[in-house]
Amino acid sequence: MTGDTPNSDRTTQSRVGDWPEQTPDQQIVRGMVTYTPYAKALGMKYVSSSPGHGEIFLPWREDLVGQGGSDILAPGVLTALIDHVCGLAIMATFGLEARPATLDLRIDHMRPAAPRGSITAAANCYKSTRNIAFLRAEAWDVSRDDLVATAQAAFILNRKEQA
Amino acid sequence: MSDVDLAAIIASSPFGRFLGIETQVDERGVLAILPIRDELIGNVMLPAMHGGCVAAFLEITCQLQVAHETGAIAPARTIDISVEYLRPARRENLFARARIRRLGRRVATIHAEAWQQDEDKPVCLLQSHLRLPGSVAISD
Repeated sequence: MTGDTPNSDRTTQSRVGDWPEQTPDQQIVRGMVTYTPYAKALGMKYVSSSPGHGEIFLPWREDLVGQGGSDILAPGVLTALIDHVCGLAIMATFGLEARPATLDLRIDHMRPAAPRGSITAAANCYKSTRNIAFLRAEAWDVSRDDLVATAQAAFILNRKEQA
Repeated sequence: MSDVDLAAIIASSPFGRFLGIETQVDERGVLAILPIRDELIGNVMLPAMHGGCVAAFLEITCQLQVAHETGAIAPARTIDISVEYLRPARRENLFARARIRRLGRRVATIHAEAWQQDEDKPVCLLQSHLRLPGSVAISD
């Protein structure tokens, strides 16, 4: 992604920073969505990843609803989805051995998700230094033009090979 | 302080039941407890609880403290959260308390902390703005 496409947005901007020359194997990276116990328990599904980018889908499920009867996914479910998609974008860039740890995460809930609505979240790592990655993420139910939540995060990286 | 039934509030939330949150009330307010189980793990190598799970637990702790102090059973809606992770949450039970820093007519500003062995060594801090339920809904 070079950022020239007409619909280029906040999470598909071109990347800046100290990036490795080798692109990690995305099939291996995918495992951090498939095999992480909590991601699995919430039912997260890997959509795509590439250096600087990650996208995960979370199908609606009755036991993840915030208030009984509302059929709306709890905001805390989105928190995990957003945190995880940021981790995916980092691992897609630096590999599994980067072992990102969340330093801080801020989420704005623009509106409740649609009743029985599934959620997709995408993250973009727009800048990284040797030890810190900065990301933006967004989540939507029906259309990416009408977001449910936006987020900003910083992660610590463990990049021994860059010493 | 109210006598609102926190266990009933959690029981009415499918996600609250999914997490398995328990509560106690003492003179300091609500003490929320998240019993550890394998499904809540985010890093199997350490092992550590998933950051999204810790944050969700703190967010619900904020809502429980609001219910406890206002007596409102209707849940407050989360406007935003800001989370800081200080240490990994180990494979142990997690505890949390929330403090309402401002209770307005429409919005409450709340700070919450989670810890494991030692309350003075928090693993995670969360600030949230909650939209309060009730008459406040007229403005939008």
